[in-house]
Amino acid sequence: MDFSWPENYTQYRAEVIAFAKETLNDDLVERDQAGLFSRQLWQKCADFGILGLAAPKQYGGKEEEVDLLFSMLAMEGFGYGCKDNGLSLGLNAQMWTVQIPIAHFGSDAQKEKYLTAFTSGQWIAAHALTEPNAGSDIFSMETLAEKTEGGYVLNGKKHLITLAPEADVALVFANINPKLGKWGVTAFLVDKGTPGFTALPTDSKMGLRTVPIGAFEFKDCFIPTENRLGGEGAGFSILNYSLEYDRCCILASQLGAMERQLEETIAFVKERQQFGQSIGKFQSVSNRIADMKLRLETSRLLLYKVAWLKRNGKSALMEAALLKLQLSESFVASSMDAIRSRGGIGFLTATEVERDMRDAVGGVLYAGTSDIQRSIIARLLGL
Amino acid sequence: MNDIIIDYIKQQLLSGQVDIDLSPEEDLLGSGLIDSLGMIQLLAFIEEKFEVKVPPQDMTIENFMTVEAIGNYLERLKTA
Repeated sequence: MDFSWPENYTQYRAEVIAFAKETLNDDLVERDQAGLFSRQLWQKCADFGILGLAAPKQYGGKEEEVDLLFSMLAMEGFGYGCKDNGLSLGLNAQMWTVQIPIAHFGSDAQKEKYLTAFTSGQWIAAHALTEPNAGSDIFSMETLAEKTEGGYVLNGKKHLITLAPEADVALVFANINPKLGKWGVTAFLVDKGTPGFTALPTDSKMGLRTVPIGAFEFKDCFIPTENRLGGEGAGFSILNYSLEYDRCCILASQLGAMERQLEETIAFVKERQQFGQSIGKFQSVSNRIADMKLRLETSRLLLYKVAWLKRNGKSALMEAALLKLQLSESFVASSMDAIRSRGGIGFLTATEVERDMRDAVGGVLYAGTSDIQRSIIARLLGL
Repeated sequence: MNDIIIDYIKQQLLSGQVDIDLSPEEDLLGSGLIDSLGMIQLLAFIEEKFEVKVPPQDMTIENFMTVEAIGNYLERLKTA
């Protein structure tokens, strides 16, 4: 077993951290309070090459083919350097749930049209899966795609869609035959401006406020056959394929954020003096720091294991569920500890500690709730 | 091959219901015997047991509707 990283991997991680720290953290308190998404920052990330971490070189990618371990480590660095967890979520959502499926299942024309525009920052994409009546039970989706001459007609609604209000393109999942259940689920690339396709206003939310989350409506929306991604019924396979990439890399950025959070908290409790000594000397405080470190490192081990399994073409069903549960719940717990360690000022927006807490709650809900992860783990244990 | 797959489905995906009558022609999907998580488990089992790699684009209703279809697909995959 070898836990070391190749030098070019750690070197690029360091470059990503430096870029993120220097470029992405200005005015964050104000942008968070106002719920502002910054397309300018998105473009800077594209120009740096962040979006290219999830595409082959031919289409603006960083490497000839996507190297999951390289990308995961880079996105961990991104989460460490960039305090804007909303921006991080938005980038990861596009990269792993839209770009990766197109890179694998797309036609050459689709790859050329979409991947190149995504990696360059020209277009933003949303992954449209969740519906009002189909959340965790996603394959009971009600959005239908009726086959017609030359294409399909979509009708239905998607909600809780990351980047929906900003999206130039949506990867939409709809059922072509509900009798087939999950095997009828089919994916379509729907361009902004397509008649019958509407993006609804942004939903305000508790955290992750710098990335918009909204809804889509489809009313007799005609999609030509060439905009179908993969074959009819390939939606299940596409979702299964991208799921573990998604969990791995979205969570990598959260891991980076947890590492930053721990370092900042340690610096604070060493500096803060009460009763004639730094508060880190009090066991009530230092025990919390030890717990934060334990959560960080156990999460890291699970993350790296999932990435290693996926890179080697192995199934990571159990490990991905354990990772999603452990890391997202750890971020919530450690964010609370970061606030407690600062006392009253941790409650103030200006200290930028409470924002991580609000953002972390999103992580136990999106991409499969903690309840669902526990259910998967139990099922895989034969219960 | 079919017997191995049927045994796995009964033991692991149907909580050890060995008495259930499951033929190679049984519609695994329409009958609701296997849900989406079960299908992913079955895929992982097949890859490990028969030492094959199922490309994501091959995960279709034609290849996975019945145990017989799975067996035929695996034969084609191994000889390809």
